[in-house]
Amino acid sequence: DNPPADTAAQKALAKDAVCTTCHNESWRVPILSLYQTKHGNRADPKAPNCQSCHGQSTGHQQDPAGVHPEVVFGVKSKNVSSAEDRNGTCLGCHKTGLRMHWSGSEHESRDVSCSNCHTVHIANDPVLSKATQPEVCYACHKTQRAQTHRISTHPILAGKMACSDCHNPHGSTGPKLLVKNSVNETCYTCHAEKRGPFLWEHSPVVDDCTNCHTPHGSTNAPLLKARVPWLCQECHSGDHGAAINSGANLLNGNATTINGMLPPANQSPRTQTNARACLNCHVLIHGSNHPAGAKFQR
Amino acid sequence: QAAESDDAARQLTQPTSVVEVGAGYVSQDSFKFGEYNGLFKQGLYGIFNFDVRGGGSYDSGDATRWRATGTDLGLDTRDVSAEYEQQGKFRVNFDYDELRRNRSDTYQTPYLGAGSDTLTLPSNWLKPIVPQVSGTAINFRALSPTTGLASAIVGGVVTRPTAAQQTTVNNIIAADLPDFNNVDLDTIRKTIKGGFSYSIDSRWEFKASAQHEKKEGLKPMGAVSSQVSEYATILVDPIDQTTDQYNASLTYTGENSFMQVAYYGSVFKNDISSLTWQDANDPTKTATLSSAPSNSFHQILLTGGYNFSPTTKLVVNGSYGRNTQNEAFVTNGQNNQFPLGLPASSLDGLVVTTAFNAKLTAKPIKDLSLVAGYKYDDRDNRTPVNTYFFQDANETKAASASAFNAALGLPANTLGSNIDIYANRPYSKKVNQFDVDADYAVAKGQRLQGGYEYQQIDRECNGSWINCADAPRTRESTLRAEWRANVVENLSGRVAYAYSERRVNYDENAFLSLVPMANVVPAGGATVSAYQYLLQTGLTGFGPVAGFPSSPLSGNAAIFSPSNNMLPQALYASRNNINEEVGMRRFNMADRNRNKVRGSVNWDASDNVSLQGSLDYNKDDYNNSIYGLKNAESLALNLEGNYSITSDFAAQAFYSHEDFQSQGAGISYGSNSNTAFVGQAGNTIVSGGCFSSVLDKNSNAKIDPCLNWSTDMRDKVDTLGAGFKYKNLMGGRLDVTGDLVYTYARTDVGVAGGSYANNPFALASPAPALAPGVPAVFFIPAANMPTATTKTIDLRLGGQYAIDRVSSVRVLYWYQHLRSNDYVYDGMQFGTLTNVIPTNEQPFNYNVHVIGVSYIYSWR
Repeated sequence: DNPPADTAAQKALAKDAVCTTCHNESWRVPILSLYQTKHGNRADPKAPNCQSCHGQSTGHQQDPAGVHPEVVFGVKSKNVSSAEDRNGTCLGCHKTGLRMHWSGSEHESRDVSCSNCHTVHIANDPVLSKATQPEVCYACHKTQRAQTHRISTHPILAGKMACSDCHNPHGSTGPKLLVKNSVNETCYTCHAEKRGPFLWEHSPVVDDCTNCHTPHGSTNAPLLKARVPWLCQECHSGDHGAAINSGANLLNGNATTINGMLPPANQSPRTQTNARACLNCHVLIHGSNHPAGAKFQR
Repeated sequence: QAAESDDAARQLTQPTSVVEVGAGYVSQDSFKFGEYNGLFKQGLYGIFNFDVRGGGSYDSGDATRWRATGTDLGLDTRDVSAEYEQQGKFRVNFDYDELRRNRSDTYQTPYLGAGSDTLTLPSNWLKPIVPQVSGTAINFRALSPTTGLASAIVGGVVTRPTAAQQTTVNNIIAADLPDFNNVDLDTIRKTIKGGFSYSIDSRWEFKASAQHEKKEGLKPMGAVSSQVSEYATILVDPIDQTTDQYNASLTYTGENSFMQVAYYGSVFKNDISSLTWQDANDPTKTATLSSAPSNSFHQILLTGGYNFSPTTKLVVNGSYGRNTQNEAFVTNGQNNQFPLGLPASSLDGLVVTTAFNAKLTAKPIKDLSLVAGYKYDDRDNRTPVNTYFFQDANETKAASASAFNAALGLPANTLGSNIDIYANRPYSKKVNQFDVDADYAVAKGQRLQGGYEYQQIDRECNGSWINCADAPRTRESTLRAEWRANVVENLSGRVAYAYSERRVNYDENAFLSLVPMANVVPAGGATVSAYQYLLQTGLTGFGPVAGFPSSPLSGNAAIFSPSNNMLPQALYASRNNINEEVGMRRFNMADRNRNKVRGSVNWDASDNVSLQGSLDYNKDDYNNSIYGLKNAESLALNLEGNYSITSDFAAQAFYSHEDFQSQGAGISYGSNSNTAFVGQAGNTIVSGGCFSSVLDKNSNAKIDPCLNWSTDMRDKVDTLGAGFKYKNLMGGRLDVTGDLVYTYARTDVGVAGGSYANNPFALASPAPALAPGVPAVFFIPAANMPTATTKTIDLRLGGQYAIDRVSSVRVLYWYQHLRSNDYVYDGMQFGTLTNVIPTNEQPFNYNVHVIGVSYIYSWR
C-alpha cells in the first residue's frame, strides 16, 4: 500500500534535510525557494529531492568545504559539472515533450546545458515567462537583441512574443530550431491567412518566407530583407521590372524633370520608385485567389 | 531568532501573491510608440496587474497548485491566465490575450465605408485631371495647387494654364481635398487558449489544447483600379479573421525509449471574401480585390526515440499534413473580365505535406561524438491546374483579335489580343537532406567539430504542361568546421567556418508554364508554336541578345523575334512580357557559394567583470547570376561587458554593429527599332549615353550597354545599450533599475547606370522643330537614393520601495525618442505621384514620456 501523501511528503523532506540543514534559509543564494516550484512539490512522488539532481554527494556531506557535490549546476561556479552531466540529470526525467529532439541538436552539440538558460531554484524562472525570456536568449544571441530595436519588428520588446513562440531551443525537426518542420509552417501558426494554397502562388513565398523577410527586425518595413523595388528586382527583370530605379526617378530627380526641362505639370515621378513601390499595385504578393489575380493585383 | 529563521524560511518556501494597482500618464499621442504596447494615446491609463497563487503547501500531502495572473489589464495588450493542477496527475490552463498592432494614424482616404467590404467615393468627387496636360487622363497631381496649376508644355511651348483650366483644377481641389479624411489603421488580435494534460500513469501522458484567435481591424492595401487609366489606389482593407488551432498528443516515456503520436490542426476563416471600391477615374465602375481565402491544415505527427546504449540514440519523426482551400472564387465587380467564364467555381486546393526526420547520435569513444541526420520534407501541391481567361484590371477587349481564337475553336474575335490565357502553377517542393557531424576533444578544454551536409531540393508543378520551376533541382553541399576552446581559465572562445556550394540547372523558359498557349501555333503565319520556336533556336523568351537586324528577318523569326526583339506577348496570350533577361537568376534558386565565419570570446576577467565579443561574417556569391542578386555580405559585431559588485548590484553595457550589403544588377532594355528621330525629322541628336544618334540608340535598344544598371544596397545599424539593477538599497527597502538603448540605422541604395529621356520639346509638328544641335534625347545618369535613417533612444527607469512587509510602491519613467527620415513618404503626399492616390502618411517622429506610479500589495 502507498503511504498517505502527507507521510510521503514528510519522508521526502527528510531526505532533503541532508542538504537543507546547511543550505537553509540563511544560505547566500536562495535554495529553499525551490519549494515554490514544481520541483519542490513534495506531494508529487515524481518531484525530485536534492540528491536526485545533485547526486548522493557523500563526499561533500563528509567534507563540505573540501569536496563539492557530485553535480554542480551553477554555470559561474568553478566546480560546475560538464554540460553532459548536468543535462543527463535533467533529461533523466525530462526526456520527452519539447526535448524529444535534444540529442544532437545545435545547443546540445555546443555544450549548452539546461542550467545555462533555466534557473530552477527560484519561483519564476525567467526563461519561462514571455516578458523575461528574450533577455535569457540574448546572453548569447546579441545580434537578435539589437535587431529587435529596429523600426520594423515583431512585438518582442513589448513582451507579447517570445523567442520560443517560433524556436524550440531544445531541438526540433525544422531549420534554425523552429517549432515546426519548416519556416513557412512556423510562420503560419500566426499568419495562417498566408497559407493558402492560393490559385496564383508566388513561388518564393511558398518556398520560404525568409526569401524576402527577416524575422527579428529590419530597417525596411515590413520586416523585409531589402528595400522595394530592388528586393523585387532581385528576381524580376522583365517588362517594367527591367527599368532602373534610382534617385533620379524621385520627385524633382533628373529623370523626373528631364534635367529641369520638364515643367511641373508634366512631371510624373516613377511609381515603382516612390511610396510603396511595386506594392502600390502588386499588393497580394503572398498569393491571390482571384481568377484574374495572376499578377497579384486582384 | 528561531521565529526570524522560520519567517525567513517561510518567505522562501511560500508562494507570493501580488496585486498591483496604479496609474500612468503618456505625454503624447504616438501610434508608432504604441505600436505593440498599448500606450498610443496621450493621457492617463490604468496600471493593473496581478499574480495570485494557491494550493497545497510544499510540505503537505496536497499536490494541488493553482495560479491566476493578469498583466496590462488597463491596456489593449491585456493578458489573463489561469492554471490549476494536481501535480503529477493533471493540469488545466486558460489564457486570454489581446495584442493591438498600430499601423498608421496619419493615413487619409477619400473613400467612404472604411471597415466594410465596399468603399465608395463621396458624391461630390471630381476626377482629378491636370487639364493643361490632358483633359481626360486621371492625374493626382491635380490635388495640389503647386502642381495642378503649374505650367505645362503645350505645342512645344511652356504655357501657363488658361483661366478655364485653372477653374477646373480649383474646382477639383475644392471638391476632392476635403473628402480626404483620416482613418486610423490598426488591428487587434484577441486570443483565447485552453489546455489540458493528464498523466495516465508514470509512462503515459495525454495533452490537448485549443486556441481561438480573432483578428479585426484595418490595414492599408494598394490596388490597381484599372489597367486602362493605370493608377493605384491605397485602400482601407478590412480585417475580420479567425484562426483556430488544436493540438493533441499522447506520449509514452520508457526507460530507454519514447514515443509520441500527435495531432495539429489549424483552421483559418476569413469573414471578408473581397473588397470592392469605386473607380476614381470612372465612378460608374467598380473594381474588386480578393481577400485571403479561408483554409485549413491538419497534421498527424509520430515521433519515437530509442537509446541503444546511454550514448547511442536514435530519434525518428514523421508527419503527414493536408492543407485545403476551397473558397468560392470572387467574380463580382469585374466588368466582364472573364469572357469565357471560369473553369471552376473554386480552387479545390490541396497541399499534402510529408516529412520524415531521423537522427542518430553516438559516442563510440570517450572523446568523440557523432551525429548523423536525414531530413525529408515534401510539399506536394495537388491543386488541379486549370486555364483561366481574363482581361487585366478592368481592361476592355482589344479591337485586334487574339492569335488563338481559331486554335481554341472559338468564333473569330471572341478574344481580343490583350487576353491573358494563364494556367495556375501549384508549386511543389521536395527536400532531401543528409548531414553528419563529428565532435572530438583534441586536448583538454579544446574540441574540434567537423561536418558535412548535402541538400537536394526538387521543385515542380503537378499537372503543369511544362516545367514551372526556375531550378527543377538544386544541390547544395556544405562543409563546416568549428574549434571551441577553454584553454585558459576564465577565457573561452569559438571559431567556426562553413563553406557551401549550391549548383542548379537553371531553366530560363520555365515562365512558359504560366501560358499554355505558348504550346499552340498562333494565327498570323507562324508554322510552330512559341515554345517550339524557342526549342528550335535555343533562345529564351528574351529573344536574341542582339540589336536591330542588318537585314530583314523572315519566317518564324520575323514573327517570334521581330527586329530581334522579345517573344511578342500576344503570341503566348499574355498581356505583359513575362520572360526575364538572359542571365537573370532568381536568387533562391541560383548557383551560390556561401562563406560563413563565426568567432566569439568570453572572458571572465574577475569575479565581478566579464567581457564578451563576437563577430559573424557571411558572404554569398551568386557566381553565375549576370542579372538579379549578385552577392550579399553581412557582418555583425557584438561587444558586451557585465559588472557586478555584490549580488545586489549588476551593470551591463553592450554595443552591436551590423552591416549588410548586397549588389544587384539589371538592364533596362528597350525594343530595337529603326526610328531615326523623335517627334519630327531633324530631332536626331542624343546627348550622353552610348550612342550619338537616335537611330543608333534605337537600333541597339535591347543591348545598349549604357542601359545596364547596378545597385549597391547597404543597411548599417549601430545599437548601444547600458543598464543596471541595484537591489536592497535603503536597508533592503528599495530596488532600482535603469536601461538605456540608442539605435542609429542607415539604409543606402547606391545606383549606377542611367536611362534615356526624350527632350520634352522634341514633339511632332505643329510644335517647332528643335534648333540645330539641340539634343532630342538625353541620357540621364542614375543617382543614389537619399539615405533613410532611423534614430531611437529608449530610456527606462524603475524603482520599487517597500513601505512595509506587504506593501510597496513602484514608479516608472520611460522615455522614447524616434526620428526617422525616409523618402518613401514623399511620394504619398498631395501633388506628388501622377497615378497613385495620395494618402498623406507621415514618417514616424516622436518624443514620448511615460510615467507611472502603482501600489503593490503582496501576501503569502
